[in-house]
Amino acid sequence: MAGTHVDNAALFAVLSSLADNKQAIGRRYAYWCNGAPALEAAVAAAAMTQDELGHARTLYPLLEDFTQAEPDPGQVEPMTRTLHYHLAYLDHDFQGWSDFVATNFLLDTAITTFFEAAQNSSYEPLRQRARKIVQEERIHEMHADGWVRRLAKVGGAVRSTLVASLNRLWDETLCWFGPNDDPNMQQLYREGIIDATPDELRSRYLQKIMPTLSSLEIEVPVSFHADTKRWELRQSLPWNSWDAITRRTSAD
Amino acid sequence: MNSTITSASRRREALNETRVWQVYARRKYEEPLHEIGNVMADDVELAKVYARSIYDEFSWVEMVIIPRDCIVTVIES
Repeated sequence: MAGTHVDNAALFAVLSSLADNKQAIGRRYAYWCNGAPALEAAVAAAAMTQDELGHARTLYPLLEDFTQAEPDPGQVEPMTRTLHYHLAYLDHDFQGWSDFVATNFLLDTAITTFFEAAQNSSYEPLRQRARKIVQEERIHEMHADGWVRRLAKVGGAVRSTLVASLNRLWDETLCWFGPNDDPNMQQLYREGIIDATPDELRSRYLQKIMPTLSSLEIEVPVSFHADTKRWELRQSLPWNSWDAITRRTSAD
Repeated sequence: MNSTITSASRRREALNETRVWQVYARRKYEEPLHEIGNVMADDVELAKVYARSIYDEFSWVEMVIIPRDCIVTVIES
């Protein structure tokens, strides 16, 4: 993969999805820069918007180096790109602040789990970016955790609205890593571009988010196995409605 | 309509932050910490996030937050 041209369809596909998701998250966050429940939260939303769009801006140029970009160069520019490999959940404006919090807590953390697995990547441009993104995402994770706790503890309609937002995003986020035999993710794992298989990524992700959800008694289909001391999914994911190319579920 | 407004304002009220945190920072190691402002947050982790995102005008070498209700007045103004 040395040189200016990289011929790797699997990496091209996953990078496209990462860039599209970061771009879409940034655009959705942007709407809440002046609509958050408090001035402090609005400023934090603005800072996170800037970070997410910045991450997208560092990822899209990587696509230009790929052989796979040659047939349609317009698809590697965010301004001219017509393909959308972000989650279907991000197709529409957030219905409320709880959608912001759910995206911050579930989706942003899932994508960070991928970047954590790429911090020693054999593909140097991703390795460099992954380390910086992981560093910047620490503050996003604190924000997500703080707001999930805050909304859940208020109870009543506030809590139930949060739970509804989390539920809407749950399956699609867990699917994003792909089924364990996902050819693109498996190839990335074999080539040392990431250090985990889809199932391992999903497991790492669950270990990150479940302590918070469990402590707040937010019900999700995950169980803690005392023997392995790990959180594990207790029901299968809706792979029939998930598309391996766009890495998203079919929109309702 | 009125009940919708009431329930929305009740939800908003429930989310009102009540705890004030004083924010202190310094730009150089040889300088002392000085007060740069405050943030409102009931949760310490959110207070940290808010302080970092609001007061990001300099590359601080240190920033701390102190709950205002922990400050003891020695000489009243």
